[in-house]
Amino acid sequence: MGIGRIIRDALSFGDLSRAERLGIALFLVAMAVFPFAVKSGFGRAVAVQFLLYATLGLSWNFIGGYGGQIDLGGAKNVGFGAYGVALPMLWWNAPFWVGLPIGVAAAVLESLVLGLALLRLRGHYFAIGTLAVALVWQELFTFWRWTNGARGVLLPLKPTPDFLYMQFGPVGFHYAALFLFVLSLCWLNWFRKSKLGYELRAIREDEDAAASLGIDVLAAKLKAYCISAAVAAAAGAFYAVYYGYIDPASVMHMDLSVMIAMTAMIGGAGVLWGPVVGAAVLIPLDRYLGAWLGGDALGIDFVIYALIIMLVAAYQPKGVWGIIESLAPARSAQRNEWRDA
Amino acid sequence: MSVFLEVSIQGVLMGLTYALLALGLTVIFGVMDMVNFAHGEFLMIGMYAAYLTAAHVFPDPLVGVPVAGLIGLVLGALSYRLLVRRLLQGPTIAQIFGTFGLMLFLRYGALAVFGPNLRSAPGGLVVGQRLVLGGLVLDGAKVTAAAGSALLFALIYWFLQRTRVGLGLRATAAHREAARYMGVDTDAMNSIGWAIGGATAGMAGALLVNFYYVSPTVGMVFAMITFTTVALGGFGSVPGAFVAGIIVGVVEAVTAQYFSPQLKLAVIYLVFFLVVLLRPHGLLGAR
Repeated sequence: MGIGRIIRDALSFGDLSRAERLGIALFLVAMAVFPFAVKSGFGRAVAVQFLLYATLGLSWNFIGGYGGQIDLGGAKNVGFGAYGVALPMLWWNAPFWVGLPIGVAAAVLESLVLGLALLRLRGHYFAIGTLAVALVWQELFTFWRWTNGARGVLLPLKPTPDFLYMQFGPVGFHYAALFLFVLSLCWLNWFRKSKLGYELRAIREDEDAAASLGIDVLAAKLKAYCISAAVAAAAGAFYAVYYGYIDPASVMHMDLSVMIAMTAMIGGAGVLWGPVVGAAVLIPLDRYLGAWLGGDALGIDFVIYALIIMLVAAYQPKGVWGIIESLAPARSAQRNEWRDA
Repeated sequence: MSVFLEVSIQGVLMGLTYALLALGLTVIFGVMDMVNFAHGEFLMIGMYAAYLTAAHVFPDPLVGVPVAGLIGLVLGALSYRLLVRRLLQGPTIAQIFGTFGLMLFLRYGALAVFGPNLRSAPGGLVVGQRLVLGGLVLDGAKVTAAAGSALLFALIYWFLQRTRVGLGLRATAAHREAARYMGVDTDAMNSIGWAIGGATAGMAGALLVNFYYVSPTVGMVFAMITFTTVALGGFGSVPGAFVAGIIVGVVEAVTAQYFSPQLKLAVIYLVFFLVVLLRPHGLLGAR
């Protein structure tokens, strides 16, 4: 498969319905002009967080959505990406663009090694395994001294906007996040049409049948797991420079893993747009809920998410996208083989 | 008495409670091939039940044990009736997210209701008591929790082996379809499995309150230990849960003594990882 074919597959949305393509175009235009239309700092921050979580949700979709392997440890990859940028910047004043490949490489390498073990597990076991691994990393990053332990890392601030260190105003961050998001979206768009994407869907439907058809199940899952880690780590690297401060409790916590899986699950797991829809529901809900409830109503936000998760799991496992599809049955029946196969 | 032996005995005491916790999880798994992510939260609710009983009704967490058991029983059965029964009709992903959602709901619900503060039992018959056996000094509360856990474990084991309902549970675990053809009400068995899971976790929690703090997030620590125990013993294996509980307790105590208390969870997760890798069906697993 030539590089031209890969790029064409990544950029082409030709297999989607006209309504969907129109939706994509409108969405991207809206995101592109957003910083000019919205001047409030809060609104802009919500938009950046939305793009960040949508990217994380897309990363989850590779292994969790298309592969059906419920990864509940996505936060570790975010942590690797964030620490990969933050620690070299703290120690050697290394630019963001040096730290980014370090963090991504660490996440991919870790996923490759541990994936060899974890991906032999199925269903519930895999979910528990990923949860356990992510908890161990959080414990270790809290325990170790070289990672600054529980105190976390405060990134050195630059006096002027600096592309090398990815430090600039809210508008700059918006476009950086949008760039990362579009890149991830294109990668997932290629993935769902690739041989690997079909292999993973086959594995999701029936792992034994997939293996009997000659699919190297472990290799396929491992590839998707590593791609997922790379995307999440890149988002983590961005997280570090955007917030300027990271600690194990913010970038490696189980709550973050939950949020990542949830954006995809609530929007629609294994659907290109699922995580985007999920993030569009969850992030504004989260931020405005937080602003509305204030600090005194501890835990209420997660109680509401928990209710949403339980309702979605019990009544509409295909998420918001499943509801959209059931409202437009003719279109979905015609196009299902691409998205939902 | 050597330090190692003393530490090991402490580990065995804790391990008996882990065995009781693992029992509930492994029964649910055996009967319906499903992991209950909210198991640690059932324990946490049991702990609060015992703590509140001790704080407001009668100043001893031991009185809270039956209360916590009853609350756990109802909670488990309700979870099955209202949520899990629907989840069973969906794909595996829905089952995982469903009980995971239940876990988050109970955990953050407790945070909203009780606040983030750690609480300890105000006192009681065995709280803070020292038990001296020759050269060995033991915490009376831990010995009580261990004895209570062992007793409850034996009771449930007897129930599974010697009663008609226990036979139904075992039949359902062995082969659901065949059990249904033989007239076993498998839906009721699921319900009973969840009730047992909730009740044992709740009572284990009440026993722990005698020497362990309560907080809304305490469930996660015990849930991960329980998952490790069940994986080690073999998913669905009741004798496996007992043996593995004791092993996990000893490993935890030895790690805390010889390495660092902060690393004990990391080591337990490592054990989980190795077991899953080397013996995916556990020490005494059937499959």
